[in-house]
Amino acid sequence: MSGEHGPADWPGPAGGGGHGRWRGLLAVAWSGLRSAPGTALVDTAAAALGAAALVLFVGLGLGVGDAARGLFPADARLVEVVPGPVSLGGLLGGGLLDDGAVGRLAALPGVEAAWPRLALEVPVAAAQAPPGLTGAWPPGMVLQIPVIGVAPGLLAGEPGGAAFADPPAGQPVPVALSRRLLELYDKTIAPAWGVPRLPPGFDPAGLELDLEVGLAIVPGRSEAARQPLRVRLATLSDRVPLYAMAMPLATVQRLQAAYRRPDEGYAQVTVQVAAPDDAPAVAAAARRMGFGLDTADRSAAERAGAVVAITTTALAALALLLGLLAALAIARSRAAGVAARSRDLALLQALGATGGDLALVVLLEAGLVGAAGGLAGLGLGRLGGLLADRVARGLLPDFPFRPESFFRFPAWLLGAALALAVLSAVMGALAPATRAARIEPARWLS
Amino acid sequence: MISLRGVTRSFSDGGRTVPVLAGVDLEVAAGEVVAVVGASGSGKSTLLYVAGGLDGGYGGEVAVAGQPLRPLSARALADLRNRRIGFVFQAFNLVGGLSALDNVMLPGLLRRGSREPAGALRRRAEAALEEVGLGDKAQAQPERLSGGERQRVAIARALLARPAVLLADEPTGALDAASGAAVIALFGALARAGAAVLLVTHEERVSRAAGRVLTLDQGRLS
Repeated sequence: MSGEHGPADWPGPAGGGGHGRWRGLLAVAWSGLRSAPGTALVDTAAAALGAAALVLFVGLGLGVGDAARGLFPADARLVEVVPGPVSLGGLLGGGLLDDGAVGRLAALPGVEAAWPRLALEVPVAAAQAPPGLTGAWPPGMVLQIPVIGVAPGLLAGEPGGAAFADPPAGQPVPVALSRRLLELYDKTIAPAWGVPRLPPGFDPAGLELDLEVGLAIVPGRSEAARQPLRVRLATLSDRVPLYAMAMPLATVQRLQAAYRRPDEGYAQVTVQVAAPDDAPAVAAAARRMGFGLDTADRSAAERAGAVVAITTTALAALALLLGLLAALAIARSRAAGVAARSRDLALLQALGATGGDLALVVLLEAGLVGAAGGLAGLGLGRLGGLLADRVARGLLPDFPFRPESFFRFPAWLLGAALALAVLSAVMGALAPATRAARIEPARWLS
Repeated sequence: MISLRGVTRSFSDGGRTVPVLAGVDLEVAAGEVVAVVGASGSGKSTLLYVAGGLDGGYGGEVAVAGQPLRPLSARALADLRNRRIGFVFQAFNLVGGLSALDNVMLPGLLRRGSREPAGALRRRAEAALEEVGLGDKAQAQPERLSGGERQRVAIARALLARPAVLLADEPTGALDAASGAAVIALFGALARAGAAVLLVTHEERVSRAAGRVLTLDQGRLS
């Protein structure tokens, strides 16, 4: 046998496939599945298991990852610089975070902006609830509030951030709070105080609160001269620490001066780099300048992210293992199917099918089983997620930042699960397909 | 249409080589019905499979419709079977799970490079089923057809492909007298339409319908 020869009086095989031929092979594949529905169902279930596991496990990882990012918001473009731990840095021009240091940090390559932060050393307390929220304040409670001053630019990108500036005398001071504070109030503080939670959809922007500057809840720490200060919530931001109320830097500097607090430099400078890749170099440069770095938030976020990523990867590997087991199960059943249908396949050869066509029939059978299993797996995975969420709602306490769902099912995940089911089925069918291609028709048709 | 020259075929049996065909010469012309008879195990079926390109382990020369088989690639050989050769077997004629109509359509569906619309192929298949008297069984599954009906579906499939050569292996072996007679009549009609028909059988009623009857004995035709 050599070369591709064809009779002169019929069109040769070079004409290619054609939709009809594919339809024919597909019809034969479908008939093969129909002839052994029990086996097809078991194969479909095997393929569905792998797909469902991938959807459920990776969906869980993505959902928990989202929750972790909500719990530990970390902007990869921000580097938090703090005064150096050793005073020697001060001798070399570092250590103290003054305006000069802020300027030097802002001038580093890759830095877009540097915003100083100043802690108000004068005590500030509130003795009554904001108007309209009196029910959310335990009677007689005086709340000490840590205050920091931040450069307005830090919050310029937030909704309402434009109003964050030192106001004219007699006007309420705009303040900012951590976005996470509302969740924390609702889930932890309000139950602890025994007061109602915030109403659903509550927007605190514009809320006003009367403070007393110089008042401390610790005996003997209050200032002799106290002054009232009305503040108005301008914005919520993840750039404000959870524990503090942020005021414009100029306001805090004014209060510090009024109470004769010495200028010991800024407590922290938030440096924003152009791209996350620039952050390590800027952090290293800040260290060389004699400053320290506050990496607590970033480290917590990275640790949480790493735990979620490792767990998700392990679960995804388990799903892939299930896909592999499905492939093995399908390999066994397709091999049995080829053995049982050898005469049908031999007959197809008599009618003009090549060995390759027969292999294709077996692969199509597996592909159909895999696709059906994949679709079933998507449904099962999502259903499993719904059930798990329902169980979680019933069993887990209403802790802060608890997500509505612990799962996320992006389109790419559903596509990957479907592909896993089809691929595992087709890979399992490779050996049986090869066996089908080698069927000797004369042996089986006799 | 069918030409076998000095064809040999042997099989191994426990390390021993058993010759089945020992230099067979055979010519079957267009429009001719030739029956090959012989004892069970004499190699009749082997002769048929060699002639139909289903068994490539032979010696000698085989040509079908003027085309020598040996130089053909597997794909070209499959194409030749699809377009020029019709097969009817004693059993295992239909693909399980496909309706009678789908079985008849199979050669058209498997044809490479065919541009025939599906509707036209379906109408031709329905006409072929009508021709063998099974127009009302188009949607029946093979297991719901009698042995005779299955053979007629297989013949309808051969009619659809309009083969130059029809090869039949014990085509009436599993049929009652009436069904067998109907099948034999259809072979005659195919031959009159210009096909070369080669039957292997051990039934006298089939060989009586052939224009020529040859006996295969000791691997040779006489």
